[in-house]
Amino acid sequence: MTYSKLTQTLSRVSKLCLSLVLVISASSLTLNEAIAAEASGFRARLSPMPTTPQTKNTITGGGEAVASLAGNRLTLTGEFAGMSSAATMAHIHNGPPAQPGPVVAALTATAGTSGKLSAEIELTDEQVAALKANALYVQIHSATNPAGELRGWLFAQP
Amino acid sequence: MKMQKSRLQPSFLRSALFCLPIAFGLAACNEAPEQEIETISADSTSSPFGDQAAVGAEKFAANCAACHGANLEGTTLGPLLSGRPFMQRWGERTPSLLFSNIKANMPPGGNEGLVDADYLAITAHILNTNGVDGITAAITTTTEFKIAENASAQLANRQRSEPPAPEGITVAGNVDEFVPFVPITDAMLESPNPADWPMIRRSYDAHSYSPLDQIDTTNVGSLSLEWVWNMHEGDSEPSPLVYNGIIYLINPGNVIQALDGKTGELIWEHWTGPANRQDMRNIAIYDDKIIQATTDARLVALDARTGKQLWETAVADNSQGFENSSGPIVADGRVILGLAGCARYIKDDCYISAHDANTGKLEWRFNTIAKANEPGGDTWGELDDIFRAGGETWITGSYDPELKLTYWGTAQQKPWVPVSRHLTIHDEGLFTNSTVAVNIDDGTLNWHFQHVPAEALDLDEVFERVLVNRGEEKLVFSLGKYGILWKHDRVSGEFKGYKETVFQNAFTDIDSVTGRVTYREDIQNAKLNEWTSACPSSAGGKDWHSMTYHEPSGLMIAPLSQTCLENAAREVALVQGGGGLAASRKFFEMPGTDGNLGKIGAYDVDTMEEVWSHQQRASFHTGTMSTGGDLVFVGDLDRRFKALNARTGEVLWETRLGTSVQGHPVSFAIDGKQYIAVTSAVGGTSPRTVPDVIATEITYPRWGNALYVFSLPEE
Repeated sequence: MTYSKLTQTLSRVSKLCLSLVLVISASSLTLNEAIAAEASGFRARLSPMPTTPQTKNTITGGGEAVASLAGNRLTLTGEFAGMSSAATMAHIHNGPPAQPGPVVAALTATAGTSGKLSAEIELTDEQVAALKANALYVQIHSATNPAGELRGWLFAQP
Repeated sequence: MKMQKSRLQPSFLRSALFCLPIAFGLAACNEAPEQEIETISADSTSSPFGDQAAVGAEKFAANCAACHGANLEGTTLGPLLSGRPFMQRWGERTPSLLFSNIKANMPPGGNEGLVDADYLAITAHILNTNGVDGITAAITTTTEFKIAENASAQLANRQRSEPPAPEGITVAGNVDEFVPFVPITDAMLESPNPADWPMIRRSYDAHSYSPLDQIDTTNVGSLSLEWVWNMHEGDSEPSPLVYNGIIYLINPGNVIQALDGKTGELIWEHWTGPANRQDMRNIAIYDDKIIQATTDARLVALDARTGKQLWETAVADNSQGFENSSGPIVADGRVILGLAGCARYIKDDCYISAHDANTGKLEWRFNTIAKANEPGGDTWGELDDIFRAGGETWITGSYDPELKLTYWGTAQQKPWVPVSRHLTIHDEGLFTNSTVAVNIDDGTLNWHFQHVPAEALDLDEVFERVLVNRGEEKLVFSLGKYGILWKHDRVSGEFKGYKETVFQNAFTDIDSVTGRVTYREDIQNAKLNEWTSACPSSAGGKDWHSMTYHEPSGLMIAPLSQTCLENAAREVALVQGGGGLAASRKFFEMPGTDGNLGKIGAYDVDTMEEVWSHQQRASFHTGTMSTGGDLVFVGDLDRRFKALNARTGEVLWETRLGTSVQGHPVSFAIDGKQYIAVTSAVGGTSPRTVPDVIATEITYPRWGNALYVFSLPEE
């Protein structure tokens, strides 16, 4: 979907973001609703990093992040829960869907097995292009999974 | 780009080893076992070998027991590694070969942290548990002796404490006492009675379509359970046969039952053996015979009236690893059958074979692996014939009686990654991962199309070939693990088009004129022990669950799966008897699917566009079946059996069964009344393992194989 097409569907995005925000947290509702109304929205479902029968009980949890882009400014909030150990770091990475890539920026994450994510980031033009090509993703690292426990690609919301 | 495209569709809602369950008697893995079996092991104290085995017991418990059982007794996720079955496979082989095969293939999730000493210890533990008591020295990577020659047979045979399984007829009866038996002819198979489901996918063209229309979109909401029949336990993905009101049901462990379709009354039961709890997807009926492939690669005919065995013949040598998980079709008086378990480095390779339906006598074989001096033989690099492996035909083919061609899919090369095969991405490996059109009279190749040459991710294209006529066009459709719906002219083999049904990022290009695929560069060049991340996973795209062609709407309706994998090749030595699959894999949700593993997609066979899709968290585990009542039936991991409107995808009815719904739904009629039947079942490879590690919140009983029969309530 092109950027202009997205802006034509702002009201739909706004409604969708509102419902997502309700899921995420009451406190960030106003902020996200406001952002959604004036910018393009993205969403990532956070789910466990690649697992095997041996690791499925040690790479766990889920969550959601929503992000909006105004110019090159990306505002992201999110929530996660059920990780096997406390979050240590969270990042945005650059890689096309299902293909890992390098870190773009750090996120603020609650140092717990559940909590919140947030970030305000000035993206480069290349990073904005990557975002619009579904090629930015959120990854949360934990004490027992330093290589990452939760991950999710940001997709433009229809 | 492909991802974005699929997201923009109006309705964006939307399978050691995983494809060859036990080529080496070692398994893909999943859950912790629950069995309690008495442990009997050799007195292994006070020798270097005994000490090594003791260390191995701990390593086995940590790395292998989850699938193979704490006492090597096997679980639904991995075969037993002890007793007679083990000695049959490994008795004539050496500890060094066992070591190298375990190291190359196990555990399937990855072997980080496991060194040669650990693998040797595990090997020693397996040998010790199997009664190898004739040695004292610790084994090494070069220990060469025949395992059986150093084992106390008595000890090995005491491994399993279960009573001996029955053999032959266990319940005697005669179909004639229920309904007069009429032998089934070629003509009846070419144009089945609407009331019958006389072969896998019902008809030679593999439509999985029943013309019955009593149950339709207006009344399906009233569908109710008529009767239920519990089946034998084990891995189960069955397709029942229904002929003249009698259901012929293949159970795990090579057991066949005849049931009265109206009442669920058992008429006869026959244990052909081996009683191993292994999976067989289908059987065939011809004349007055039920024709059965066994999991140990034999072909057997039973009297359809009584279950009495009529003839038996070997398809391939099970001690060499050959096996079957799917049964035959019978066409033109011939039993046409595939073969699996072809990943070993041995002289013989996989084939499709034809046998006389009246005697079992072999008529022809079509070899799926081209040897060096044969046509296509130059597509395997410099590899010696003995190291050319794969090309299994583990899903039953279809047949065109006018063209006298039988259509089969073939599996990919083995091991899974080119670098493990000592080959490159340019070594296409004919006739793997292809559609082959084979002349029914003599087994010669009429045409072939290789969908994915030099396959590199364990994503095979082996599944059913669906034959469709549109106007003057005679077409064949197939849909493999890459999730690509392929359309070919079935007379000439000409490529006619394709559609990506789920997100895939393995190919950067699919040539719209030739259908030629180009792998992503990092997949082309994958090195040993280097992780590659790609979609879909080895669960498919699409797997063994067959798709249906709903002719009234011109829609191909397919059960699909949305997961991805990380894959790393392992090293495999080119030694006789070696081989295998040789990759470590991890699995994750497919990005952009919102965690929906299950997808039913409906595709217009003319335009190849997606007309509708139905997506949900739980993966689907049955084939799709469509009916003249404009319905499509399908079942899922979360125990739900559903009826959808075939034209729109709207869910019109659902019910919940005892465990995951798995198999092939069928429809039949008796005395003018239509029935819908489906199996609940457990077991399987990637299609089960992958959802089990991703959708961990979905729970279901680990047993409960059964046949459920539904109908509309009496007025």
